Amino acid sequence: MIGIGRKKNMMSFLFKPLCIALLLFGQFSLIWLKSNVVTLEYKLSALEKKKAECIKERRMMLAEKAGLQSFVGLETENNGFVLPDRVRVIHVKRQKGSLPYKVSLTKKLLSETELQR
Amino acid sequence: MILNHGMLSEKAKQQHVKAEDIQVKRGIILDREGRQLALNLDLESLYCEPEILHLDNKSVKKLASAMGEKPEVILTKIPAEGKFAWVERKLEPRIAERIRGQNIKGLGFMNEAKRVYPKGKLASHILGFVGLDNQALEGLELQYDRYLSTRGGKVFFERDASGRTLSSGVDKEVRGNNIVLTIDEGLQGIVEKEIEKAIAKWKAVAASAIMMDPFTGEILALANWPSYDPNNPRKASNFEKRNRAITDCYEPGSTFKIVVGIGALEENIVRPDTLFDVSKGGIEVGTKTIHDVHRYGTLTFKEVIQKSSNVGSIMIGMRLGKERIYKYAKLLGIGEKTGIDLPGEVSGWIHPPERWSGTSLGAIPIGQEVAVTPLQILRAYSAIANGGFLIKPHIVSEVTSPEGQLIYSFADNELKHIIPAKTAEIFKEILKSVVEGGTGENASIEGDEVAGKTGTAQRIDPKTKRYSKEKYISSFVGFVPADKPMFSLIVVIYEPKGQIYGGVVAAPVFRDIVNQALSYLNIPRKNIPYETTLLVAR
Repeated sequence: MIGIGRKKNMMSFLFKPLCIALLLFGQFSLIWLKSNVVTLEYKLSALEKKKAECIKERRMMLAEKAGLQSFVGLETENNGFVLPDRVRVIHVKRQKGSLPYKVSLTKKLLSETELQR
Repeated sequence: MILNHGMLSEKAKQQHVKAEDIQVKRGIILDREGRQLALNLDLESLYCEPEILHLDNKSVKKLASAMGEKPEVILTKIPAEGKFAWVERKLEPRIAERIRGQNIKGLGFMNEAKRVYPKGKLASHILGFVGLDNQALEGLELQYDRYLSTRGGKVFFERDASGRTLSSGVDKEVRGNNIVLTIDEGLQGIVEKEIEKAIAKWKAVAASAIMMDPFTGEILALANWPSYDPNNPRKASNFEKRNRAITDCYEPGSTFKIVVGIGALEENIVRPDTLFDVSKGGIEVGTKTIHDVHRYGTLTFKEVIQKSSNVGSIMIGMRLGKERIYKYAKLLGIGEKTGIDLPGEVSGWIHPPERWSGTSLGAIPIGQEVAVTPLQILRAYSAIANGGFLIKPHIVSEVTSPEGQLIYSFADNELKHIIPAKTAEIFKEILKSVVEGGTGENASIEGDEVAGKTGTAQRIDPKTKRYSKEKYISSFVGFVPADKPMFSLIVVIYEPKGQIYGGVVAAPVFRDIVNQALSYLNIPRKNIPYETTLLVAR
């Protein structure tokens, strides 16, 4: 009986300081968290600025690339880009199956009678 | 308990909450292969705060030198009083850097988006341009502004006592939708290059050319000369900015003979071998006599078109009658807008039969007293190429969101079947003969058959209000390969000097464009020799 009473006294003795400590801890945690959040916001803001700069640079380069790749700019004899004369282009029909590993000019097959001559 | 909480918190808010406009970036315009034709750059604009700014002579000279302008010009841009004034909008980065390096108090920079056309003059009449505040003013920029642009707004973010900003988590930029065109940059470049050459050769006043897929109505290239750089539209005159391919009418001359030709075939008035005696070399209609360029004897209907006999065409027109000529003209889209998705298209005109004069029957069948645009004529001939369908030309293929989602796609062309395929086929053979042995020989190419028609029309002299004897419009319209057309093409040269005939001035331009275009598209020739085959190693 006395033991239980002692326990109760200890609990009530510790209860208040515990609550105060918890409260203080909570307050400091909140402040610490808020501070971290604000720090993160600063960092994010800096990153956003950096991102904007990178996007700006990227757009510049894309515009430059588009200009350099302009067909009109490329298509000059000085640059060596000339549309081929269609008369000189030979189109080869794609054959099914694997192609022979050789380069050759095969003439039209001679008929047997021509061969016999 | 805080006194004056409301007022104080409002004041605090004013101090540490800043509002900024959300940047609106217009959507990108791409050609059919995804190549960028219009995009945005982030540039800086220079502003001043006159109340704070104090420029001495030395600073003014430094600033002027950095901006590449005279000191007097700089001073006119800076007002004596006020809180804010623009000095220069959308500076080049190197100029902005030079000015920033001078650290002049009272000057500041603001980010702004600038619309840029990286291909320069290419497709300028199609793309159009925007104003200083990126407001659409011409061309596709105007026509599709509701897709390309979007609403901005404001973003609010906090800043501390030293002015550093905290992240708001909101994107400070919104982008409009992107547009994919039917235009091919390569074909556009070829067409523009060739008409520019023709202008130089014939010292012409202007030129237009349009290339189109006759089956789908997709415009593959649309070019005008003179042209302009949409990056500097203020430097261009209105004459240079005219999209005469759709905004200017002209009398089509002999290219209009498709109307009487198709009408006569459809009404069974003629067959390809029906004979016409044009030996007199001229024909009287009312008080006028209309002559042929050359004297012919008896021509078949086919030869009347092949040799572009005015006398023969008028005879056919007389047999057809004015009501039926008008009917077939309207059927082929003459005097009506094509509905192309570009601003400023005009309808042209053809008077209804009740308004025809006593000499109209001698004029309209040969393409006078009629006003058309180059696109209308191209569409009419495309109906022959595709088996008798009147298609709707269009320039935009689809609209996509910045994330790539499809928002709008050009629906399948509502095809209007205007003439039977058989009639179209007969007339196609006749158009082939124009190039094979007729007035359009200079349009022929090796390896493929071309079908087309020449046109030579007098211009009205604005001073005398009569047909000019010096000012002509030379044109050629056709499609290739004749039997399986990859594209139809019209070339119109305004007021060439030295020569006037469509077969001499416009037909060679047509040929040169076609040769390069077919090569660019890698279309094999019809008569590919298979006697030898070249096998290549993998």
